Amino acid sequence: MKSARRIRFAFLAAVVACGTVAVGQKVARKAPTAEDWTALAKLPDFTGVWEVGLGGGGGGRAGGRGAPPAAPAANGPAANGPAAAAPAGRAGRAGGAGRAGGPSLTPAYAAKAKEQPAGPPPEENLTANCLPPGMPGIMGQPYPMEFLMTPGQVTIVIEAYNQIRHIYTDGRPLPEDPDPTFYGTSVGHWEGDTLVAETVGFAQVPRGITFPYSDKMKIVERFHLTAPDTMSIETTIVDPEALTMPYSMPARTLARHRNWTIAEYICEENNRNFVDANGKAGVKLANPNASAR
Amino acid sequence: MKRNMKQAAWRIIIGASLMAGGTSLAVAHHSYSAFEMAQLKTVTGTIKKFDWTNPHTWIWIDVVNDKGVTETWGIEGMSPNYLARRGWTRTTLKPGDKISVTLHPLKTGENGGTWVDAKRPDGESLMMGGAITDP
Repeated sequence: MKSARRIRFAFLAAVVACGTVAVGQKVARKAPTAEDWTALAKLPDFTGVWEVGLGGGGGGRAGGRGAPPAAPAANGPAANGPAAAAPAGRAGRAGGAGRAGGPSLTPAYAAKAKEQPAGPPPEENLTANCLPPGMPGIMGQPYPMEFLMTPGQVTIVIEAYNQIRHIYTDGRPLPEDPDPTFYGTSVGHWEGDTLVAETVGFAQVPRGITFPYSDKMKIVERFHLTAPDTMSIETTIVDPEALTMPYSMPARTLARHRNWTIAEYICEENNRNFVDANGKAGVKLANPNASAR
Repeated sequence: MKRNMKQAAWRIIIGASLMAGGTSLAVAHHSYSAFEMAQLKTVTGTIKKFDWTNPHTWIWIDVVNDKGVTETWGIEGMSPNYLARRGWTRTTLKPGDKISVTLHPLKTGENGGTWVDAKRPDGESLMMGGAITDP
């Protein structure tokens, strides 16, 4: 009798414990009130379709309007630039510590970077097999992104690879032990007119970072409007194990295209590119009639 | 002239990507290491099929080789998403159209490559990386 009660108590305790874990991972959403919608209307309006300016990092001509044909755009070799497409965990030319303007690696991670194969920077990227680039690479694609604002959340619909990021602005904390994912888990808050998004929990996938990083990496993005249809995104990478100081990427400048809509992008539709198990890129020419449309 | 501008633009972008330091510039879908980027080849023929598909358009052209045999070439282009904002439609290239395409050939020697630019018989130039036409 006594032991049965003990078992029942243990079972109950286990249920409560599981419940606590589950609650720790999830945040109950309250239904938005009229006040929530009113408060939203007072924030800067990020809604609409935006495209990063050509030149990616340098804050070039927003939206590329009138810009000359550019690499990713022109189907040309610049998309294959030396710093581009390095698989995660392999160091590109910028991988060493102390390079002016580049990331400053801790001794342990500088050693890791050195262990990477020397010679030309790695060119192959599993995006050729239709795996999307992770954060922050996905934010620099030569395709538009749509920002949606609802109470407690900013949602970014990314045309390239049909991807979506959710930035929760309802006050929830960052998860303590997130599952590693392509885009991580993001929470955000407003500092005046700037949306500050913090993201943690990254799987080791190609993500447009050419230095080795740890599972403590955090990406901080500051989104703000610099003109009615111009947005700046400043991205800083913090990694107490890999970096001696935060590394700031060149700011990205996006232009809002008021009459654009996001188009479908199904990478598997007619993908003839591939990277094989040895990291070698190829093209499948066989069967020209295979395309879906 | 257009070619020179294009090359200059590439140089600018490569420079920008070098300056980007520890993070990479946008790479749409894949590297170009499967192609001989230092080589240019021009093929002239008849459009067989135009795949208006992601992640790349594919232009299939029937080309009569120097032995008089018709070979089909497959040429990779930018995505429909990208091109549709720069003046292209799914019928910009129609089966039966005559065209000369300049491409970077595949390293394997197969009849394929990646699009650089093209001309129709009337001299109209077909660029894939032009300015946005739909602001």
